[in-house]
Amino acid sequence: MLTVSGLRKRYGRTLALDGVDLTVAAGEVFGLLGPNGAGKTTTVECIVGLVEPDEGELRLEGAPIDRAALRGIGIAMQGPSLPDAITPMEAVRLFAGLYSVEPDLHRELATAGLADKRDARYATLSGGQKQRLNLALALLHDPRLVLLDEPTAGLDPLARADLASAVRALAAEGRAVLMTTHDLGEAERVCDRLALLARGRIVATGTPAELLGAGSALTFIEGEASIVLEPGDEGLGGMEIDGRRFRCRTEDPTGTVQRIAAAIQSRGGTLLALRVGQARLEDVILERLARTAE
Amino acid sequence: MTAVLHYAWLTLRLNFRNRMALVYGYLFPLVFVLAFAVIYRHDPEPLTARLGPLLTVTALGGACFGLPTTLVAERDRGVWRRYRATGRSPALFLSGQVASRLVHLLIAAGLQILVAALFLGMPLPGFPLALLAAFLVVSLALIGLGLTIAMIANSVPAVQALGQCVFLPMLMIGGIAVPPENLPEWAQTLARLLPGQPAVSAIQLASGQGLAAAFGELALLALHGLAGLLVAIGLLRWDSARRPARAGPILGAAAAWLGAAVLALSATPSSTSVPEPEVALPPAAYLSPSPAAPGRSSGKTSAPEQSPPAPSGNPAHADVTPTLPSSWRHVGEEHLQAIAFDRLPDDAGLVAPMAVRGTPRDAATETQLAAVRSGLRAWPPAAEPDPVQRARNLLYVAAVPDLLQMDPLERHLPWLVFDRLRQDIPAPDLPRILYWIAMHPEEGDDRALDSLPALGLPQVTGPTRQVRERAMIYALKFLKRLEDQRRTFAEAASAT
Repeated sequence: MLTVSGLRKRYGRTLALDGVDLTVAAGEVFGLLGPNGAGKTTTVECIVGLVEPDEGELRLEGAPIDRAALRGIGIAMQGPSLPDAITPMEAVRLFAGLYSVEPDLHRELATAGLADKRDARYATLSGGQKQRLNLALALLHDPRLVLLDEPTAGLDPLARADLASAVRALAAEGRAVLMTTHDLGEAERVCDRLALLARGRIVATGTPAELLGAGSALTFIEGEASIVLEPGDEGLGGMEIDGRRFRCRTEDPTGTVQRIAAAIQSRGGTLLALRVGQARLEDVILERLARTAE
Repeated sequence: MTAVLHYAWLTLRLNFRNRMALVYGYLFPLVFVLAFAVIYRHDPEPLTARLGPLLTVTALGGACFGLPTTLVAERDRGVWRRYRATGRSPALFLSGQVASRLVHLLIAAGLQILVAALFLGMPLPGFPLALLAAFLVVSLALIGLGLTIAMIANSVPAVQALGQCVFLPMLMIGGIAVPPENLPEWAQTLARLLPGQPAVSAIQLASGQGLAAAFGELALLALHGLAGLLVAIGLLRWDSARRPARAGPILGAAAAWLGAAVLALSATPSSTSVPEPEVALPPAAYLSPSPAAPGRSSGKTSAPEQSPPAPSGNPAHADVTPTLPSSWRHVGEEHLQAIAFDRLPDDAGLVAPMAVRGTPRDAATETQLAAVRSGLRAWPPAAEPDPVQRARNLLYVAAVPDLLQMDPLERHLPWLVFDRLRQDIPAPDLPRILYWIAMHPEEGDDRALDSLPALGLPQVTGPTRQVRERAMIYALKFLKRLEDQRRTFAEAASAT
């Protein structure tokens, strides 16, 4: 459905996108992951024409994405993106006009769960209601591709769960969904495939299982000592230290545990708690990002 | 088209939900009306001569603050980006915003005119449709400026700062609040390059004389508007953080503005300068029977150079204007009796003020008066052999500080001039000469104005019509005092 190839964008000296390639198929939820500034939003902006890429190709169902093709794309942007004083009914009517469609406005609002809020001002809606309205506006013209830029930012757990099921429903209807997020747990739950973006480049891609598999050698160790630890203590190099607690990722769990125990003992302390476990997706991705940074 | 109208309508409604926008967009213009009415309360027709500045300030305020504030606030929230992502042309959103702003400005201007007409006695404009058309062109020209501000400013506070940078200079030296003829020459030239002065002129001319009279100004404004629009297109951005610049439209804007500048500078100053406000009635208006200012009923501005009234046949009749004498020596009692002194501006007002005799003066004013008094002894225009010209020259000494609003000097200096006139000119001649000057303010020369600095007063450059008008009013005010004195003596004599 969506093909992005060789996408590059530079802002002055900053290379925001450095040859991004990705494809999103119909019926698929594709997650674009990465820390702030990685280039996720720039990628979305290039797709909808808000940013002119320096190089690269963007295609929707094989055809280049031009202004007319945008009618086939729905987008829910990051942030408010609607005037404070607008009501959900006015917003739906406005966007129906902009997309030249004539939906049943009341039904659209009811579907979004906003029937009783149709005359409320946008500023007075809750985060979840705003996001549902944004999603409703993105779907008004029945787009084939749906772009969701950080859709769960600022939502409470219940609203997140609602949104996750709404996104899965979109894919079930045969739409292609590209969502950006830095919430790794949510990406793991909602997305069929993921791409990890760092410094404008995709550093890993695959299904959540594939990405976990790629990090199967990775183990995390965390625990607590009876004494306060310092990041510079001998034998504790490369660890996250927070008072008496410590945490690290390693591909040699046995050796690392021995090294930690010896370091604590040599400082006159004892090991109070220790947990060794298989890496989660978050650990794998953080490891990848750390490697990219190096 | 439907989408544009829908968007414009929605924008309009959203604006009505913003309390601050209502205060700035509607309340402030009404406050301006009241302020103008108070400041210019001695105008012969309330606010008629101020319609140009008044409506231009409204349009400029809406353009410099209202429009860009809305645009930048929405852009900051990502609203523009969201709209843009629908694939619609930027022209739809810009034209929708402009259309909505035009409606706001029209409502605000309509309210101003309504309030001025209903509560402040302003006659309705003589050419309402021409005024409407001119106001639309003025608004579009200034909206071009507002769009430029919106594209340059990164945030709402930046809009306020940039807006002030445009608004205040346009008001003060752009020919809007301060008439160009009261500005130094460099500022007059600058004012001709800006849209404020033609805007004031266009509204004033269109409302008083019809659209054709304002054609030159409207053409200039169209060029200014085009320049602003092209700059806005050249700098259009959907995101405050990014600043693209398209050379084509910017060059087009530069060409349009250059065209406007050439047009403004090549036109004769009178075609682009603000019509001088009718602060004084024409001489005939001070003669009985009441020759109400021409246009008072029609709403048109009066013609200051209008000839005195035609002979009416019976000079002795109280309700009939006597025939004007052929020279000052032929001014008779019937002429003096025919003056309607009650139509003169109030002594405590802004135009031709005079302090109450004996009012205490501060040290600085005393020093200034002393400088004028001693300067007059050696001032060549005060020694002019022709008594009429000499009296004119002395009247200018009072008129210029008044015109330049050199308070408190302007209120005290007339007494010095009055005393000097009584000292210099024989008592029987003085009322006749003052009458003659009042009825012929445009006669004589005004070279004396060049030598005012010798008296410690500023030199006046540019058109001198207003100085002559003020001299006319002072001539009548002095005449009134002479007549009061004469009447008092006569009453005292008859009593004894």
